[in-house]
Amino acid sequence: MHRIAIHLARIVAIVFLSGVVCALLVQFSPGSNVDERELNPKAGEGSLQALRARKAATVSDGVWRYFRGLSRGDLGYSESNNASIAALIVDRGPATLREIAEGLLGGWLLGLAFAIPAGRFAKASIYDALSAAGAGFLLSLPAALIAYLCLLAGAAPAIILALVVAPRIFQFAKNLLRQAYAAAHVEIARARGIAEPRILFTHILPSAGPQLIALAAASLSIAIGAAIPMEAICDVPGLGRLAWQAATARDLPLLVNLTMLIAIATSSAAALSEILSEQRA
Amino acid sequence: MNRIRAVAIVFLLFVAMAALTAELWVPSSYEVQFRTAFDAAPSKQFPLGTDALGRDRLARLIYGTRVSLLLAPAAAIFSCATAALLGISAGWAGGFAEVSIMSAADLFLSVPWMLSLLMVRAWLPLNVSPVASVAITFALLGALGWAAPARVVRAAAGRLKTSDFILIAEAHGIARWRVLWRHVVPNLMPILLAQFWIAVPVYILAETTLGMLGLGIAEPLPSWGGLLREIEGSDVLSHLWLLAPALLLAAVTGSLQLLRPRQDNPL
Repeated sequence: MHRIAIHLARIVAIVFLSGVVCALLVQFSPGSNVDERELNPKAGEGSLQALRARKAATVSDGVWRYFRGLSRGDLGYSESNNASIAALIVDRGPATLREIAEGLLGGWLLGLAFAIPAGRFAKASIYDALSAAGAGFLLSLPAALIAYLCLLAGAAPAIILALVVAPRIFQFAKNLLRQAYAAAHVEIARARGIAEPRILFTHILPSAGPQLIALAAASLSIAIGAAIPMEAICDVPGLGRLAWQAATARDLPLLVNLTMLIAIATSSAAALSEILSEQRA
Repeated sequence: MNRIRAVAIVFLLFVAMAALTAELWVPSSYEVQFRTAFDAAPSKQFPLGTDALGRDRLARLIYGTRVSLLLAPAAAIFSCATAALLGISAGWAGGFAEVSIMSAADLFLSVPWMLSLLMVRAWLPLNVSPVASVAITFALLGALGWAAPARVVRAAAGRLKTSDFILIAEAHGIARWRVLWRHVVPNLMPILLAQFWIAVPVYILAETTLGMLGLGIAEPLPSWGGLLREIEGSDVLSHLWLLAPALLLAAVTGSLQLLRPRQDNPL
């Protein structure tokens, strides 16, 4: 219970700090004191006054306004998309969520599929060298390039994320499984003639479970990070593409809100995996 | 394994030397336009052809390599130095300082790195001079990359703080800064070196991704990200030479990854 309270406090702190960062970034970004709409000869006096009032607002005003809006579910307005940020997130979120879920599933299955034989047959040097070289090659390419090459090959976006996640899972899981396979109780189980699949599911995976669960949160963060270039390159209308568009248009309120949302998601996943791995351990 | 590492070191030295001595052997500079040879195919004069503006791709690749190979280590040194300062402070001081620094590190680590980079890059002006864009890109990488190494350094500094030789040094009345400088920092150097080798390929890949998204180093300065951006919208399958930057990038980052000190195989 105490651990859960700490994790919740951390998530609240992230929301608060993100709000402060949002206000600071918007207030002090270079060029923030210039608004081209003020030069519009057709702008009415009311509009001009509203623009000037917004520019004159202090940081504390900005923070207060942000949290007041947040309490009503209003995350602000995206100037570059001419839409409310909450509506944009609701619109684009499902595509990204689906891709990340599929990508993570694929990445974990692929990574474990290569890691289990590498862990089991530690002396199979050719397989070890080939699988390590394949993982190393994928780790040597930026996610954007993997996305482009997969796009050329006509691969689905989830495959791109799986290819980004899988080598990291492979490298971590391989060492973990190798240690688990080297344990004395596994040798005894094998000497007693217990089948390999049963050893894997009843001895190896449960003993490596806590660390693998801890890796789950990290893999979510990796997948989200890779989703940005992937969606930008593959033209997928998701949150990653939205973040990239916001960056190129310097739409800071949108970008900071997306960052906050993702920070909450990754922190929650980290907290959940930490609690689960502690329970398993 | 050691033989592969030796090959990686030789390859990296060769690439670094080729990039650093580009003026001596590359016939043209990266920004020179050959107005009679736009989008030219590979030839004796242009081994990798020319780009849409008639610039020699080989020259751009070599000069781009120089940018990445010089500045990614510089950014890694910056982030490792920041991590050392904050990690040692947290591990040594403990209490509120430790909680504050580690909370900041947790906050940094809770956001995917690419998103942090995009956010801070968008905060800065996008229309800047090429040299300013290089400085901004690598300063950002260095400034945002301190959190993970700081956690490692903090843990090691915390262990050192209670080690016998430090306790003996303090019992002898040696000043705290001297203990830190003469005993703690040298003992943390292998950890910092390992973090440096982890950071360099990560920063090269991050710069490439930023460049491919149009948020990296500005034209006409070449970078691997900028060069790879050229392949978007191109028919790569019939222009395979466009993949030369990708191959060089993979070879360099792969070699750098081989140089990472590992627990079971320290450098």
